[in-house]
Amino acid sequence: MLQHGPLLERLLAGAFICQVSDEDAFRHLSQEQTQQDINHYLRPLNRRLVSNDDNSVYFLAYHELNKVAREQLSSQFALTVQSLLPLLEWLQLVQETLGRDSALTAGDTIKLQEFVLRTEDNQSLRQRLNQLASDRFFNSQSDALDNQVKLIFRRLKEHGYLLQPHSDRQYYIVTGKIDYLIDVIRFIRDEEHLPVDDTPTQQAML
Amino acid sequence: MAPLDTGSASNLFSVGAERLALLGKHHKALMQGYLDGFIDEAAFSESALKKLIAARILWRPDEQQPLALRPLVSELIASMVADENRRQINADVAEKLEQIRNRVQAYRDAQYKGDYSVAELQLQRLTEHVHDLSGQFEEAIDSLWHRLNSDFGFVASLDDKIRENERAQKQLRRLLDGLDLLDFNELIELSEGNNQLRKLLVSQLQHQLSSHHSSLLEVQKRLVELLARFRQQQARSMLITNMAAFLRQHPKYQPADYPNRSDVPLLFNQAAAIQPQAAIALDKASERQILAELVRALPRAAVINLPDQQSASFAAVMEDEEIAARQQALKTDVENFYLRVIDKAGPVSALEYLAEQQLSWDSEIWLYQIIAEYQALPQDEKHMFAIKRDEVPASAVNSLLLIRDISLSLQAAG
Repeated sequence: MLQHGPLLERLLAGAFICQVSDEDAFRHLSQEQTQQDINHYLRPLNRRLVSNDDNSVYFLAYHELNKVAREQLSSQFALTVQSLLPLLEWLQLVQETLGRDSALTAGDTIKLQEFVLRTEDNQSLRQRLNQLASDRFFNSQSDALDNQVKLIFRRLKEHGYLLQPHSDRQYYIVTGKIDYLIDVIRFIRDEEHLPVDDTPTQQAML
Repeated sequence: MAPLDTGSASNLFSVGAERLALLGKHHKALMQGYLDGFIDEAAFSESALKKLIAARILWRPDEQQPLALRPLVSELIASMVADENRRQINADVAEKLEQIRNRVQAYRDAQYKGDYSVAELQLQRLTEHVHDLSGQFEEAIDSLWHRLNSDFGFVASLDDKIRENERAQKQLRRLLDGLDLLDFNELIELSEGNNQLRKLLVSQLQHQLSSHHSSLLEVQKRLVELLARFRQQQARSMLITNMAAFLRQHPKYQPADYPNRSDVPLLFNQAAAIQPQAAIALDKASERQILAELVRALPRAAVINLPDQQSASFAAVMEDEEIAARQQALKTDVENFYLRVIDKAGPVSALEYLAEQQLSWDSEIWLYQIIAEYQALPQDEKHMFAIKRDEVPASAVNSLLLIRDISLSLQAAG
């Protein structure tokens, strides 16, 4: 188990492990034997290793749901629900600002400077960014575009959605946690039968 | 190649060469026509236009339409520059196969008649057809790979990419169907008894076509994968857009309380973080050496010698201390004065006491401190002292009273 020490520490600290955030660790986690070893180790800590539907991201879940665990999950869930709209709006904004033809996926690179430059010249994007930055999830107090963008990206980095390979260079890579977010949205949509479509209608296909 | 009819062949040669030269001569204007979809007639002289039309390079599709490149020329350019928007794929195998059959027959007839030069020419033509057939697949496969490797980057939107991918898959199916038309038993029969034919039609063609076949299957696999990815991306974009719209319309929306269900969905079972802590194990003798090294490696706080700064801060501290000490001394002297007042029954003059004790305080500061000390006394203790100010007006015209001296006496209680 010693070889997985750093990985275990990251998992215990609440990290989401995907191919982007840690390729080696992700490869280890994909092996059944490693999964068993890790689960065996985590058992006394009331933790177990889980992944999203298509196994693109791993994280730790409670083994048994006692009262403390439920309370933690409730507050975690409230945070997740509260963050849904700001995160979705950010995804849309990035896609539109950078003129991409598809939504962000794990492994995509975003250059901060490019994002700022394109937003600067466009009044409507500028306004939407302003609104997004002041959302309580990001909670920016600044009026300056540069600060707002930096804050938004820093928060997303803290929440594990983005990875900054070099702390002194302003470019970010989208991590597999975005897949988790999409899974959460899809789950809520399915479970609550929300009128939210994700397949193109016949009209659109023609 | 042995020309059969030198006259017509040389005529063909000169006309062909002349017309190819036309392409080169007007290359820029023609390429512009390829990009624009029509020819700018002003860019050519009238005779040049006539020549280009006669050479079947340009044509007028309709009376009302401007001149344009003939489809075959456009196709040639598209193939040369791998322009996937315009590149054509020719999946017609039946026609080629028919030509091959005919040539084999003509070749055999000529051989039968002993007309070897004709036979030679027919063999040459047959070889060309076989190469054409193989080249046709090669061109198509090249085009498909090119599109695949660029992720259909030649069209902008995801919807277009999906449509292009579907079109490519249809082409691919036609190519595979075309390959199925080739019956090697028939080819073996055609080449029976002739080594050259067998080499050309069986070993060479079969080898090439089987490699094309596996290439096509590989492309097909990748196309299907890519289409699935495109569709996934499309679904994701739509989900994001529509969910965001839904949440915007229903700001009060609250999903069910999943964490408190008996069966918590895995997605919402996200354990709290634990930060493991560790410290040095002092009980392990074997690690002492390492520990010692670690301690030695610790950066030591460097002693910084900055004499100027040091003396300045020293003076500042001294000053503070000196002031505090002087204030304390003043308070002590004033207290002693009060004790004297208590000891002595009668009034005691402050200034007289100052002179008598040979204290170095400035008389004004001395009086201030006595008054301040008196004011600081609790109310009931204040009554114990009678304070008497010896006051004079500042001048004859100014009625401001200046305190010259204070005399204090103990008052009889009650």
